[in-house]
Amino acid sequence: MLDRRLLFVSGKGGVGKSAVAAALGIVAARRGKRVLAISMTDPVGLAAHFGVPDLTYDPLQIRPGLYAALVDRSRALDEYLGLQLHVVRSLPTRQLSNALSVLADTAPGIREIVTMGKPIFEVWREEWDLVIVDAPALGQLQSYLAAPQTITGLVPTGAVQEQAERLESTLSDPAVSGLLLVTIPEELAILETREAIAQMDAQRQILIAGVVANRVLEPLGISAKAIEEVPDGPPRAAGVLHSRLVAAQSDWLESIPDDPRLPFLFGFHTPAEVAERLAEICEAFA
Amino acid sequence: MSRDTKTIIVTGAGGVGKTTISAAMAVRMAGPNRRTVVMTVDPARRLADALDLHALSNEPTPVPDVTGLWASTLDASASWEGVVHRYSDPEVADRLLKNHYFRAIADRFPAAQAFAATETMSTMIESGQWDAIVVDTPPSAGGLDFFLAPSQTADLVGGKLLHWLTGAQLPGRRFLYRFTGRPILKIADTILGGPLLEDVAEFLLDLRTMYDRLAARAATIQLHQQRATTVVVTTADPAPMTEVLRFFEELTEVEVEPSAVLLNRALPAAWADAARSPIRDIPDAEVRAVLKANLVRWGGESRRQASSMEGIAGRYGLPLLTVPWMAEPPMAVENLALLLNEVTGLDDLL
Repeated sequence: MLDRRLLFVSGKGGVGKSAVAAALGIVAARRGKRVLAISMTDPVGLAAHFGVPDLTYDPLQIRPGLYAALVDRSRALDEYLGLQLHVVRSLPTRQLSNALSVLADTAPGIREIVTMGKPIFEVWREEWDLVIVDAPALGQLQSYLAAPQTITGLVPTGAVQEQAERLESTLSDPAVSGLLLVTIPEELAILETREAIAQMDAQRQILIAGVVANRVLEPLGISAKAIEEVPDGPPRAAGVLHSRLVAAQSDWLESIPDDPRLPFLFGFHTPAEVAERLAEICEAFA
Repeated sequence: MSRDTKTIIVTGAGGVGKTTISAAMAVRMAGPNRRTVVMTVDPARRLADALDLHALSNEPTPVPDVTGLWASTLDASASWEGVVHRYSDPEVADRLLKNHYFRAIADRFPAAQAFAATETMSTMIESGQWDAIVVDTPPSAGGLDFFLAPSQTADLVGGKLLHWLTGAQLPGRRFLYRFTGRPILKIADTILGGPLLEDVAEFLLDLRTMYDRLAARAATIQLHQQRATTVVVTTADPAPMTEVLRFFEELTEVEVEPSAVLLNRALPAAWADAARSPIRDIPDAEVRAVLKANLVRWGGESRRQASSMEGIAGRYGLPLLTVPWMAEPPMAVENLALLLNEVTGLDDLL
């Protein structure tokens, strides 16, 4: 999973995608890779899981080999215009980018391609061994993945169109890019994940590199009947809750690929502790 | 307004159970003398079935077996069409609705779905048909979008881009021709490779004509929001807790004061202490050891939940409501009411 150059991590809101993205960044850096973890739209999640108050457009070193950043759309647009489209310096780019940054918030495809473009530019720069992207939640992901095609359709020629085609080909190259879906074994998250898998299979914008189920509970190892025969009280109540949750989870787990599973973590207080613990667990399989 | 409508806004981060909680509150509030509607956003299949919701529609339909309860599922696109018809001239409305950028904006502008929800909520309040309205909010930006959407939408429609390009407060159609002649636009077209900017500008000009009416509307919506009872739902997991703390800081900026924090998936407080005591009444040694270890894990969670929640409720001086953790969230309508049965302090809010 960490052998690619560009890994997008997405999932339904609340399933722990930022935690998994942060954990994989920690694992890759420990293995000696130079890693950039970048959040596309969420200013909070990745920062919290790295235990820092905020992220900025300029990469912040989290630990040796691991850097983290946040896509700031107006800075990304400047970069897109200046570096990627080779807008000649003498043009009033400041003015132009002021106007375009408002456009970037409104015109279809522009805001998405600028946001999508940033992590891909970082891959092209060849400064990182791995770029891990804390991508938008599943509901919005599709419009971002489709952005290069949207642009190609809207703009028939020109530098923007060439750029969009190049983004599209990096994204769809399975040797370079992959999408990791994070889910939890509950109804809404599993149904959304299955829909996303079907959609990605049909549209082929990016290869699904894996489906990770998070917060999976271990069976207790004694029968439900043995638990229910115990006298009333907290030991029984906690046992019943646990075994019912396990039963409900196992039904939902059956309907997704049998990829790595991450355990429910008991007793963790901060997102940073969660990411650190998940990293230890991920060492085993990533 | 023919009656005084009680409005409950249920907000919080994604995945914490807002929709189920909203439905449960509505079931509890509805009755022969209290016409209640719950506005849901993207309910789970089984919950939608229980509420008899089968398609997106802002038009409430009666919920089977619950007297006085109606439900709807937000149709953001229809809400936007309504907005355009209500706040622009018929000719402009027709042109806007045919414009493909309009759909793109309604679909992709992050506050668009949230604005649609606020608009639909306000229309329901103003209809005078309801005694109670429970609003489930779209899960974006930890729920904050719902409160920011009215002003953000007014800003967008106000046409920052147009204002910057034309320098005019209220550009008319004739400005467009002058405006398309500007060198800046030529450069943009060269880079973009087509008349994209011009197309978008024309669209924004149309949208701009709605500004005054929409800005007034946004102010009314904000009043409705401030008058409503806002309940922040969270679980005690570290990530939503972090989000909820930030959410509270930001809520004060939009002058919304939550009425309560509701902890979903709460564990019994007694488990924390019980986990420290020896178990005597389970004869089988294996069962005893397994259940002891299990109780230690869940008891630790219970303690962690209590300390995180005391922090929030204490700091903001808010009542803390707790909804017990259930293995399978109840989906049948009659069980939804049970979900909130033991929640003390809830009925004071509803």
